[in-house]
Amino acid sequence: MDDISPQYDGTTIISTSRLTKAFGKLVAVNDLELQVMRGDVFGFLGPNGSGKTTTIRMLLGLIRPTAGRAILFGMDNTDQLPAILRRIGAIVETPVFYPYLSGLDNLRVIAAGSGMVSGKSNDRRIAEVLDIVELRAYEKLAYRKYSLGMKQRLGIAAALLTDPELVLLDEPTNGLDPAGVIEIRRLIKRLSSLGKTIFLSSHILYEVQQVCNRVAILKKGNLLKQGNVAELLASSQQVEVRMNRDEETNYALHLIQQAQERGADWIANAHIEQNKQGQGILIIDAPIDRSAEINALLARQNLFAAEIHPRAGSLEDLYLEVTMQGAAPGGYPGMEALAGSPTPPVVPTVPGAAHGAQIANSASEIPGSGK
Amino acid sequence: MSSIPQIPAEQAFPAPRRQETVVMGNQSYLGVLLRLIGTELYKIRRRLMSKVLSIVAIVIMIGFFGIISIGSIFVLASPEATFLPPPCTSNIPVGTPCLDHSPTQAELDQARERALDSISSPLRLPNSLGTALQTASVAGLILIIILTGTIVGGECSVGTVRLMFTRGPTRTQFFLSKIGALLACIALGVIILVPVGILTGALLNLFTGISVDFSFFTAAWLLHNMLKLLIVMLGLFMYAMLALCLSTLGRATAAGVAGALVWWGLETVLGGILVLIGSSIGSSNPGSLANFIKAIPDYFISNSIGALSQNQDHYINPASQASSISDLQAIITLVVYLAVFIGVAWWVNQKRDVTN
Repeated sequence: MDDISPQYDGTTIISTSRLTKAFGKLVAVNDLELQVMRGDVFGFLGPNGSGKTTTIRMLLGLIRPTAGRAILFGMDNTDQLPAILRRIGAIVETPVFYPYLSGLDNLRVIAAGSGMVSGKSNDRRIAEVLDIVELRAYEKLAYRKYSLGMKQRLGIAAALLTDPELVLLDEPTNGLDPAGVIEIRRLIKRLSSLGKTIFLSSHILYEVQQVCNRVAILKKGNLLKQGNVAELLASSQQVEVRMNRDEETNYALHLIQQAQERGADWIANAHIEQNKQGQGILIIDAPIDRSAEINALLARQNLFAAEIHPRAGSLEDLYLEVTMQGAAPGGYPGMEALAGSPTPPVVPTVPGAAHGAQIANSASEIPGSGK
Repeated sequence: MSSIPQIPAEQAFPAPRRQETVVMGNQSYLGVLLRLIGTELYKIRRRLMSKVLSIVAIVIMIGFFGIISIGSIFVLASPEATFLPPPCTSNIPVGTPCLDHSPTQAELDQARERALDSISSPLRLPNSLGTALQTASVAGLILIIILTGTIVGGECSVGTVRLMFTRGPTRTQFFLSKIGALLACIALGVIILVPVGILTGALLNLFTGISVDFSFFTAAWLLHNMLKLLIVMLGLFMYAMLALCLSTLGRATAAGVAGALVWWGLETVLGGILVLIGSSIGSSNPGSLANFIKAIPDYFISNSIGALSQNQDHYINPASQASSISDLQAIITLVVYLAVFIGVAWWVNQKRDVTN
C-alpha cells in the first residue's frame, strides 16, 4: 500500500444515507451509510449475497432504493443520475457487450452512449484504453470469441473510456489469470495515483489489502465495519508468545489476564492456539509495539519466552472476525471462497470474552450494525 | 454523515476535466438522443441478422413480382383460342358472352392481348405501386417484428441494457432511441423495397410488350399514393411498437416476436369469427349486441390500417368502394393503440429494476 498516494482532499464522492433495498421480504441492503472520499481506493467486501452488487446497482441507478438515498459528487442520484453517470466508469458483475460486434466496435458504441462524439473521432482514446488492458491486438475480434479474461479486460477498458473521476469495479479480477490480476492491481494503483477514486468490490481479500486504503465490510445487507485499512488492521494486531513448555504457556496466559484485570487496557484479549506441532502458543491481542512490555511482564515472574514476535493483522483475519461473529467458519454461503485459507483452531480462554467481541470498539464501529 | 466536510457542490465538484483524447459531444437532450439513434442504427447495420432480413425482404418483393409474371408467361405460351369466349350453344346461359362465328386472326390476337393486359397489370404502374406496397406491408411486417424483438428484447436478455443504462443517457433517451431507430429502419425499408418492386415489375413487364400509359400520373394521384406509402409505414410502425412493448414486458426477443405475430394472426382469425358470430346473432335476433360484436374488428390495428389505405384508393378512384371505417375513426384507434404500447413500454422501462 505504500506506493498508493491517494489524492485525498476531504471531499465526499459517494455518500449514502440509510440506503435500503428490499426485494419483497428479503432486505438485501439495510440502512447503509457509506462514505467514499475523493482519491480513495475503497474496498467493498462481503460474502456472496451480502448486498455488494445491489449497493453498486443502487449507486448507478440500475435499481431504485426502497428507502434512503445516495449522493454522488454532491448530487442525489434519484434526480441527477445522467450528470452523475457521466463522471463514472463502471463494471457491474461480469461485463456484457454486444456479441456480434468486435471489441473496437463495442467501445465505439459505448463511447457514443457515454456522451462522446460518435464515429471515429474517439479512436485515439479507444486505442489508449485498449492498450491499457492489452487488448489492442484483439480489437477486431468479435466479442463472442473473447475469453472470460478478455471480456473482463474489455469491461475495464469501457469503464475507463471517458476518463472518469470515479471508477466503480465489481469483481474486476473475475476470470483473470494471475498475471491479469497483478496487471489490474497495477492499473488500480496507477489510476489512484492519477487522482481517480476507485470503488472496488472484490472477494479477494489479499487484493483489496494490496490496493485499498479504505474498506467497508458488509454482511447480509448490514454494514459491519468501515474505515481506514491501516487503522482497522492496527486494531487486530497480535503478539505471539511461544514458551518452552505448555505449563509455562498456561501460566503466562494467567499473568496476562491478571494484568488485563489490573488495568492494562492495551491488552484486548488473550488466548492459546495450537501450532502445527500441537504446541500451545499464547496469542495476545495487543499493539505490536507492546511486545517488550509483555516480555518484561513475563520475565518478572521468571517466565522466559522462547519466542516472541508480532503478528500483523491481515484483512482476511479482520474480515473473518467481523463476518463470522456468531457463525461457524463457512457457516453461510460464500464464506469458504472468501476466506481463502482455513482459520487456525481457536481456543478461547478468557471467560466471557469471545474472540471477536473486542473488535467492536476498534476504528469506526457502525452503530446498530449486525442487526 | 454530519462529520462530512461540507463543501459547496459546484466548488467541490467542478465540471470534470478529461484527457484531451476524450472528445465529448453535444450534451443537449436532443444531441444525446440523436447520437443514441445513430448508435442504434450502427448496431443494426453491423448485425448479420439485419443483413439477412434485408435480403429476405428484397427476395420476397422480387419473388412476388416474379410469381405474378408467371401468369403473363402462361398467357403468352397458351393458344389464342383459350382466351376467346365459348361458342354459342344451347348450353350457354342467357347473357353470357359467346362466339357465334369462327374467330378471325384479329379477334384471336385481341383476345390474347386483353387477357395479357389484365393479368400483367399488377406488373405495371400504376397498379405495380399497389402491388409493391401490399408486399412491403406484409413481408415488412414480419421482418420488422423480428428486428424489433431482437433489438429491444435482446438488450435485456443479453444484459447489455445494464451496460447502456450506466453510461449517462436517461432511460427515456435510451427508449426513444430504439423508437427512432425503428422509425428510420421502417422508412428506409419501405423507401428501398417499393422502388425495387416497381422496378422488378417494370422489367418483367417488358416481356409482355405492353407499354405504360402515364395518364394516371397527376398531382392528386401522387399525393394520395404518398399518403398510402405513409400508411404502410404506419402499419409497420404499429406492429413494431407492439413488439417493442411485448419485448420490454417479457425482457426477451421471443416475447416480442411471438407475441406480435400471434396478435397479428389473431386479428385476422378473430375478426372473421366475430363477424360470423355477429351475423348469426343478427339473423335470429337483430339488435345492438349483434352490431356490437360485428363492430369489434373495426377497432383492430390491421383493419384500421386497411381502412386508411382503402379510403385513399377511393379518393384516387371514386369508382372503388370506400371502407366502412372512416379515416378519423381509424386514426383515433391507432393513436390509442400507440399510446398504450409506447406508454406501457416506457413506464416499465422507467420503473423496472435492472437486475440479472
